[in-house]
Amino acid sequence: MAKLEEVPAPAARSRYESVMEGALHPDPDALAREALAHADALYGYARHLCGNAAEAEDLVQETYARALRGREGIHADASLRAWLFTILRNAFLSARRHDGRGAAAQALHAGEPDPAEDEWLRGDLELERLRRLVSEEIEAALGELSEEARTVILLHLEGFSEAEIAEVAGCAAGTVKSRLSRARAALRVRLAHYAREGRR
Amino acid sequence: MMAASCEALRLSILDLHAGRLDAAAESSLRAHLATCEECARAEKAERVLTEVLQRGLPRHAAPRALLQRLAERHAPAASRPARRPRLPLRTLAAAAALLAVAGAALLAGERLGRREGLVAGLAAEAVNDHLRVLQGVHPIEVESGGSHQVKPWFEGRLDFAPSVPDPATLGVPDLALRGGAVGWFVDRRAAVLAYRLRLHQVSLLVFRADGLAWPDAPRATASARGFHAVLWRRGGLGHALVSDVDPAELARLAGRFGAPE
Repeated sequence: MAKLEEVPAPAARSRYESVMEGALHPDPDALAREALAHADALYGYARHLCGNAAEAEDLVQETYARALRGREGIHADASLRAWLFTILRNAFLSARRHDGRGAAAQALHAGEPDPAEDEWLRGDLELERLRRLVSEEIEAALGELSEEARTVILLHLEGFSEAEIAEVAGCAAGTVKSRLSRARAALRVRLAHYAREGRR
Repeated sequence: MMAASCEALRLSILDLHAGRLDAAAESSLRAHLATCEECARAEKAERVLTEVLQRGLPRHAAPRALLQRLAERHAPAASRPARRPRLPLRTLAAAAALLAVAGAALLAGERLGRREGLVAGLAAEAVNDHLRVLQGVHPIEVESGGSHQVKPWFEGRLDFAPSVPDPATLGVPDLALRGGAVGWFVDRRAAVLAYRLRLHQVSLLVFRADGLAWPDAPRATASARGFHAVLWRRGGLGHALVSDVDPAELARLAGRFGAPE
């Protein structure tokens, strides 16, 4: 049996570190390659932001075009992945503003369920119902949340640090915990609706 | 009405689950959860939500055509067979001197940590490739009648010859070769070999490892979303074996597949 060493979970690396790694790298495309390693995560995030495959592909392509060709500016202490996710989110919001769907998204945000409803959803029976939800229902419930709520939930699920989430979401790091808590409470309320009503 | 201390403590529940609290904070929160029924219920609700999301929220892997376009557009040199740079010797010497200076500074201490981060990122990419196989984004292009059919199929499709481990000679019961396909790993073409071990799907990715921070000796990665990966390099080729089977069993299988001892 092969002797194995454990590799720790991926950690956030600053753009500076990435660039320096690239400078040491024998291949000048090192930074591009490292950035491309995030393509799956970016595409997954884009799918949950815009809800369809074609637009998600466009967003990812736009992200890499801005990041690797234009070397769009970012703070030196931001991680490479936070930098890429920030560019993608900005491209998404910009496109939404441009085509007028930003207002609709805002209206959806206004109608987001009150997390206070979450209080009574903590019973064992309710939680068991959540466990029985299928993927389509979970994705649909997430899709009903505001863009910001989806962003913090998805980035947290992706293992982003609070500083990285703050960078992408454009908020103070000290507010990430409470934003995430509210977003997850709102998601639980949405999921509970699906759990009670079954598939829509 | 929730007490102020409860409200503050509940904001740390996700950090507790992620193991991000220091010992004192963790101990304090656990002690509170043991005595406060409301907070204990909130903790369970968060735990269940994370479990539901990790299990049920679809993970959309990027389409292969998109990855190919991105690689061709942004790392075209890497997606072609490696060539030696045609630079004047003087330029190369100056660059080498600069790199040596930068290298001396960075190699002291932190280099290893960054390399570990790179390896972990590449392992996550291997898991995503495995997900593409599972989701049918990587359709199997050659159905297997045995490794003697699959290995020749790669000729002309790749600029290297991947070894295709044959279950018939490995002595692993219940292992079957389903087939193979050509895919992309980060920015380069890869042989994707699909196996089945009992009810588990197992993917072996083989690609040119030049320019990647790929480990020489076998490395087991931390579990990513329930999947495990073993990475190794042999004969200049990077190998990644990915599955949801038990990590110890996957390590044994990697040994059978030619991972160095």
